[in-house]
Amino acid sequence: MLAIAALAGAAAGACAVRSVHANLEPGVNLSAYRAYDWAPVARRATGDPRLDNNTIVEQRIRQAVERELAPRGFERDASGAADLSVHYHVSVEERVDIANVEPLEPCESCRPFVYDAGTLVIDLVDARTGKLLWRGWSEGNVSGIIENQRWMEERIDDAVARILRQLPARR
Amino acid sequence: MTRILLVAAALAASAGSGCATAMNVGSHVREGLDITQYRTYDWGPADALPTGDPRLDANPFFQDHVQGAVEKQFAARGIARVTTGTPDVLVHYHASIDTRIDVNRTERAYLECQGAGCAGWTIEYEAGTLVLDIVDARTNSLIWRGWARESVEGVLGHDDRMAEQIRKAVGRIFERFPAR
Repeated sequence: MLAIAALAGAAAGACAVRSVHANLEPGVNLSAYRAYDWAPVARRATGDPRLDNNTIVEQRIRQAVERELAPRGFERDASGAADLSVHYHVSVEERVDIANVEPLEPCESCRPFVYDAGTLVIDLVDARTGKLLWRGWSEGNVSGIIENQRWMEERIDDAVARILRQLPARR
Repeated sequence: MTRILLVAAALAASAGSGCATAMNVGSHVREGLDITQYRTYDWGPADALPTGDPRLDANPFFQDHVQGAVEKQFAARGIARVTTGTPDVLVHYHASIDTRIDVNRTERAYLECQGAGCAGWTIEYEAGTLVLDIVDARTNSLIWRGWARESVEGVLGHDDRMAEQIRKAVGRIFERFPAR
């Protein structure tokens, strides 16, 4: 029964696994871009009042992105001459996972599992044409994370690193 | 047997304190903040964002309760309100109401529980979130944010219950305020 409980726990944890994806616009050569700047902050609702207009979180995301972009050959240029504009967006949505294990034994996952799904999207946009060149995002369970600043910062750093690892290698 | 009972009791207790009843309290602080340099505050311009509920939008009772509770907490920490001149910090708050989901887990208290009845079911409830922002008045940057989120079922529309919940929420938020 212990083994089953462990399996069930793993199954419940499975819904929490983070996923990372990226799309590159066909025909785009990101190596042609070097200087980037932050796009003006778009005050969009995140779906979670704890994160709306939260400049402490925004600052952390920017620091992480700047740290990950530098070794990939992108330089911050705030003079207005940047050819790449970087956007990001955070959203949180409450989700319900219905049990994925038949309730034959007492187990953790025999019940609906409610959690906050957090998504971080990073967009690289051509600064002149406004055309989206590349989009990367990470999604994961953030229940219990946002209220712990250290965990939240670790999660941001980790998500940004995983997302930007999807960038095509510079040619 | 005693141990099983204890486990069952613990499970029952945790089930009883599901999302619908436990207050979610948290705070974010700007890196390297030195709170001792801030001694005075004033209320910032009113928050223009809607609350997500007409019962709270521009509700003077609600606003009075929040402001009163916050002013008490500041006073207790030796941070004085100034209404003339420039304060060190500006205080904003934002209240919102969302529909959230909780899983009723009472059946799980019985470890023998088997079959579909153990599955639990979901209930929707209204959660109110009060976010308190403290902004450096000179740089206009957020230095601290604290919040409390809790079910507001049966609270809205009852002024005494609302006052009590606000007082409790503001108290819990300020427990996380950096010590001087």
